[in-house]
Amino acid sequence: MKKTEFILFFFTFVIFGSKDSKAQVYGSNTVEIQYGNLPFEDKNFGSSYDQVNLFYDHNNLSFYGRVEYFLTPYEDRNYQDLTQKRIQYRDDTFRIRLGNFYETIGRGLLLRSYDIPGSVYEDEFERTRYSFFRDLEGIAVDATTSWLEVKALHAKPLFNILPPNFKPDTLRRPDLVEAIQANVFLSEKISIGGAFMRSYPNFSNATSEYGSFMFSSTPIQNISFFGEYAFETDAQVLAFQKEDAYALYLGSNFYIDSFGGSIEYKNYNNFRLGQGYNDPPSLIKEHTYPVLNRSTHVLETSNETGFQFETYYNFEEGHAITANFTTAKNDLFREFNYMEFFLEGYYEVDDFLSIKTFFDYADDEPKSEENRISVGLITDKSFNYEWGLNLDLQYQTFERSFDPDPSSNYYGAITFTYLPDISAGIVFEASTDPQQTDNPNTFAVETETRTWLGTNFSYRFSSSNRIDVFAGKRRGGPACTSGICYEILDFEGVEVRFSTRF
Amino acid sequence: MKLFLSLIILLGGFVYTPPKVNNFRLKNLDNRTTSYKDIKGEQFTVIDFWATWCKPCIKSIPKLVEISEEFEDQGVNFVGISIDGPRNLAKVKPFARSLGVTYPILLDTNSEVMGKLGVRAVPSLLIINSDDEIVYFHEGYKPGEEIAIREEILKLLGE
Repeated sequence: MKKTEFILFFFTFVIFGSKDSKAQVYGSNTVEIQYGNLPFEDKNFGSSYDQVNLFYDHNNLSFYGRVEYFLTPYEDRNYQDLTQKRIQYRDDTFRIRLGNFYETIGRGLLLRSYDIPGSVYEDEFERTRYSFFRDLEGIAVDATTSWLEVKALHAKPLFNILPPNFKPDTLRRPDLVEAIQANVFLSEKISIGGAFMRSYPNFSNATSEYGSFMFSSTPIQNISFFGEYAFETDAQVLAFQKEDAYALYLGSNFYIDSFGGSIEYKNYNNFRLGQGYNDPPSLIKEHTYPVLNRSTHVLETSNETGFQFETYYNFEEGHAITANFTTAKNDLFREFNYMEFFLEGYYEVDDFLSIKTFFDYADDEPKSEENRISVGLITDKSFNYEWGLNLDLQYQTFERSFDPDPSSNYYGAITFTYLPDISAGIVFEASTDPQQTDNPNTFAVETETRTWLGTNFSYRFSSSNRIDVFAGKRRGGPACTSGICYEILDFEGVEVRFSTRF
Repeated sequence: MKLFLSLIILLGGFVYTPPKVNNFRLKNLDNRTTSYKDIKGEQFTVIDFWATWCKPCIKSIPKLVEISEEFEDQGVNFVGISIDGPRNLAKVKPFARSLGVTYPILLDTNSEVMGKLGVRAVPSLLIINSDDEIVYFHEGYKPGEEIAIREEILKLLGE
């Protein structure tokens, strides 16, 4: 029986076979239809992607399945697959999961999995679209009491750069990990923990073993301290030798009334585990402003040290100010430094008008971008809480040592909303960055300013159904959501996305 | 393909009932595991999915704090669920406290509960009745939408 047949019959059975009021089936569906291509490709084509998530809960039991489907005129890109399936039992203290699940050990130094609901990822090489998640396939158990938390797992993390139709399928899960973690709550304010993980990388019989210590403490109500130290068990603990594999993360946060802040330190060395299934905190400010989101520094776990300090103050009138300072140093074949200072202000003129502005200065040696200055001004105007108008203007400039001319990025967007369900907008972007202006299909290096113009429309026709339409050119590049960074491709054409919950 | 279409038709065909929230457990800001049933409201529970990097979320939170204080004596409990991952986890507590949040904040670092409740974007606000049925779902935030949220709670309390 094919996987899709299995899930069809399974859910037919549970929907019509159960009359128990405690049982329920629910889920979501996302359909995305595109017509167009990458901007430098010649031939436009149509494609459709669909993702169905189905849950069935009955008392303490829960079943889950995700079906994904992608169709284009190119047979080798197409697939239809049951990409996730899980059975779970849970009571007040105990949980067991079999199949595909998400789990993080400590703060992600040893192992982290994640889902980005609603995300659709397209790889430039395979040109296949699929949902972007990194799950674990295997078995996990955990138990929680008032003073102790324990979890253990035996699973294969997904290497999510390879799409569901990649053959052989086994290459999508090349690593096997076994891990156990325990946390003890010594008091209301202090917890300590430890973890042990064994890894079998790349189908190898050779194993690597890692240990981890973690703590969390809130000595007084307004201040917390936390940290984790992970290491390969072959290495001398806390020796921090260049040849050792280790990761140290320390942090503290504090608040006094409307003032708050956090400071964090990282020291990671030789700590890319397997195909990259761990995800230590990057300590890099996560921006949602497009010019800054694209410029993010991507953590290099082979060697990176640094710290991040962030502070904010929220005024009673609704105004707010945020400042962030970040440094990172990579000691690879040579030393690379990254430094960023970010300042953001938010001002509520009245109930119907707010203004937000930001300034960002960065020196980004890993990207060869020096003196990178980014500024932005965003205004949000509401007309009697019925109509809304948002104007977003952003500018960025930087220098490259091998390029005599500075490069610039421009972003402008205007969005109209008719509360609560309709919004429509126009987005304009331009760039003089040679990495953007150059057509990769020609030998010459094109330097003419490149532009992108796109329109967005979205309509929420009920609390469960929504349609989003894009038409025009959309700029790609690195994007970060929920702390996860991945590459988005440029697109030129029309895209319609229909999302529903049931 | 036929099977896939059959599946869609099947899903569209069965009788719609409001989805329910099954009990879930997440860590709170003090690193303690907290279950939904321990913090749910007697009458209604309002869950706000947010993140420190989400600008509309930050804008909406002070408004939600005001609404939560207005209804706290009427069996309506508010819960914030932050979807910040390890990258931003350190900022969640001071961020929430400096914004004046007094209701519980839970941490959905793997976005697991988010996915299970069908939440695709932040901010998203759910109102759940005492039978754990999701009776209101609102995605996004624009100034003025707090009025609709407040009116919805009043309407539900009046029923």
